[in-house]
Order: sequence, then structure tokens, then C-alpha cells
Amino acid sequence: MGAVLAFAMLGGAPALANDTDGENDPLEPMNRYFFELNIFFDTILLKPVATWYDGVVPRPGRDGIRNFLDNLRSPVILANDLLQGEWNRAGTTASRFGINTTVGVLGLFDPASRWGMKQHSEDFGQTLAVWGTGEGPYLFLPVLGPAPPRDLTGFVVDQAFDPLTYIYWDRPKTVPVTRFVVNGVDQRARSLTTLDQIERTSVDYYATVRNLYRQSRANEIANGETDYDALPDIDYLTFDTNEPDTAGM
Amino acid sequence: MSPHASMKTALASIALCATLALFQGPAAAQAAGDPKAFVDGVAEQAIAIISDEAASTKQREEAFRELLRENADLDRVAAFALGQYLRTPDDAQRAEYRELVETFIVKVYVTRLSDYNDEKLEITGSQKRGENQAIVKSEIRFTSGREPVTVDWWLIEKDGAYKIFDVNVVGIWLAQEQRSTFTTVIRNNGGRFDALLEHLRAQIGKAEKGDLSGIAQGG
Repeated sequence: MGAVLAFAMLGGAPALANDTDGENDPLEPMNRYFFELNIFFDTILLKPVATWYDGVVPRPGRDGIRNFLDNLRSPVILANDLLQGEWNRAGTTASRFGINTTVGVLGLFDPASRWGMKQHSEDFGQTLAVWGTGEGPYLFLPVLGPAPPRDLTGFVVDQAFDPLTYIYWDRPKTVPVTRFVVNGVDQRARSLTTLDQIERTSVDYYATVRNLYRQSRANEIANGETDYDALPDIDYLTFDTNEPDTAGM
Repeated sequence: MSPHASMKTALASIALCATLALFQGPAAAQAAGDPKAFVDGVAEQAIAIISDEAASTKQREEAFRELLRENADLDRVAAFALGQYLRTPDDAQRAEYRELVETFIVKVYVTRLSDYNDEKLEITGSQKRGENQAIVKSEIRFTSGREPVTVDWWLIEKDGAYKIFDVNVVGIWLAQEQRSTFTTVIRNNGGRFDALLEHLRAQIGKAEKGDLSGIAQGG
């Protein structure tokens, strides 16, 4: 986000210095079309399945599945920890994998968290951001959802860090595909109420999701550290100042 | 990244502080009290309102509106959420916008906060931001053992007291989210301000028909 904000800051009007207006979404009509398409498939397929999964599989079962999938992702997280030079976090990822695969019974449980080694996310999109690559124009794809060029590239490159890619290189892709589907269903099941609430409390669901995606990516890239210096200047922000009219600029 | 931009901001804020100091003198400095105590008080009241099962949704919303009026700088939030379109509305539109935004915010947050009833908010730190602002960091810790949720409060002094400007929940600034959405609505309607008012009215109307309260109970 630093780069995006800094970029906006240089170009912005002085009163609203780092305004993020101008959403960098040149393909918005196409994106909105895919967004609606995804909502359609969500309504007829994913959401019912996720609701069913949420209702039928008891909580410990769902948590076991989540832990197992997270553990399976460790190699990708580790590779990206290392590429970002985050040695401590790399150590955490490696230890978590060791502990959860053995003590945690092939990753079904997460004893490492209880021992102070919390899970964190990493992917190659974040690595590119740490290396200074901007997000690029917003892109929303069927099935994948928000995937601006940087994060789409990250998604593809991450497949190369995933041992499953090589194990199933010239075999039927049943296992990787199953993982993708179960992961999607589980994530959807975990956001049933949240997404409903966001949809019903947005004046424009598409625009809200776009902003939420960008803000949460920025937060992930910064490893959860908020950069308070990058916040917009709000000192003279009122309706009642006598500033010259800057609207429509 | 861009060292040039951060230099520019740094210089700008130094200049700003110097100007403020010149005009306000030393008296204005510490009038607003302890930001942590302020947030603690507001959060406690908010959780009490949301957790009050005896109250109807309408009563809850009214209590929440009072709380916001007293403790948030709603005018500044409303202005911020318009971004580049701050000067677009005429006086009548502006008056209606301010009213709609207040109602909208009340409805949105009574809904979104419904997950957090009966929980405790722990203040974990605070820092000054310039002359008249502060950031208070906190965590909502769940009795169910769910991962704690981090919440940052961005405060700004107004009339000698702190007011909430924005709240960050797990990395998301809520006023920034609103601004992004509001400006998109105006832009996609060719800069027509009434389009935003229509969207806000529609959303509030939906809420009043029970769409929002329905899911609040579901959560």
C-alpha cells in the first residue's frame, strides 16, 4: 500500500493529499460482469454447499480440515518468508510444519499455535509487493475473484513452490482439485455471516469488495503493522472551510 | 518505494505543526485528556448497547446514534467519505447527505458490530499523531477462544475533547472503505451527486424493512 499511497500522494490535490480516488480499475465493466457472475454461482452453488457443510460437519471436523489445508500450504509460506528475508517468520513456519505434522497428527491439529507459534499468511503476490511491485489495475476473475496482475502472478508462481504440483505432475489432478474445492467451501463457510452483512450494508457491493480486498492485502503485505504515517491528512477536512472549489478535478 | 513522497509528507507535517503552534499557542496542547480512557469508555458503552437484548433494534439504533453524535466527528467522516467530490453537493444536497450518512453509519455498525456482543475490549497501546490526533490500539478478546480481533481507533481533537474519526478492524479502515464506495457511486453516475443520495436512501430503506435486523439476529 505504501507505494500506492505514495503514488497517489504525489499526484493528489493538496487538501486531500493522498486521496485514493481514481480507483485504478480500467476494466471495471468487465470486472463487474465477472463479479455478478461469481455472485450468481455463489448463490446457486457455493453458498448452499458452504451452508450445508457448516451445518452438517461439526466444528472440530471443520477445524481439522482447516488445519490440514493450512499445514499443506506451509512449503509455499516458507518459500515466500525466505524470499522476503523474514528469517524469524521462516523459522516459525518451519517449526509449525514440523510440530503440526507430527504432534498434530498430519496437520489435523494445530498444537504449534498453542505453543506461541501463530500462523501467518504469505504468498508470492506479497513477496512481489515487498520487492516493490505495485498491484496494477484491479482485476476480478471468475472463480478466482479479485486477482490484480501482481497477485495473479503470485498465484501462478506459488504453484511452483507447492510440492503437490510435482507429485501430481503427470497424474490425474484429483487431489489438487479436491484441495482447491474443499478450501473454497471451507473459506466460504467461514465467511457466511460476514459477507452477508457486508453485502447488505454497502451502497455498492462491488466497490466495497474492491476496497476491502486492497486494504486487507495491504495489511497482509505489511504483516499486520499499520503504517500510521501513511494515513491521509484530515486536519482541515470539513464542509465549512473557505477553500477554493476543488470538485470535479 | 518512494522516499521522496515520505520526505514531502514529513516536511508538510512539520510545517503544519509549526503553523498550528503559531496560531494556537501552548494552551490548546493537552486539553483533550487521556485517549485510552476515552476509547475504553466509548467501547464499553457500545458493547453495552449491542448486548442489550431487551432493546428493540430501533432502540439500539437510537442509543448508538446518541453515542456517535457525542463521541465521533461525524461531520469530518462525512466530508472525508466524499473524497474529491467534497465540493460537489449544493447546500440542500449537503444537508440531506449529512443526515443520510449518519443514519446509514448507525445502521451499518449496529449490524456489523452485532458479532461482538458480550465481548471485552482491551486497550493495548496508544500514540500521539501530530498536535491534535491520537491512535489507540486495542483488541477484542473472545470468550469462545476465537483469535482476538485488533481494533485501532483514530482520534482527533474537536472543541477540546477527543472524537473518533476512523476505526480500523483487522487492517481495514472503515471510513476509507466508505469513501471508496461513495466516490465510486458518484463517478459511475457521471459525477451526479444525487445518485449517491439515492443509493443511501435505498440502502436505509432496505434496512428499515428489516433486511438488516434480520441478519443481525442471525449473527
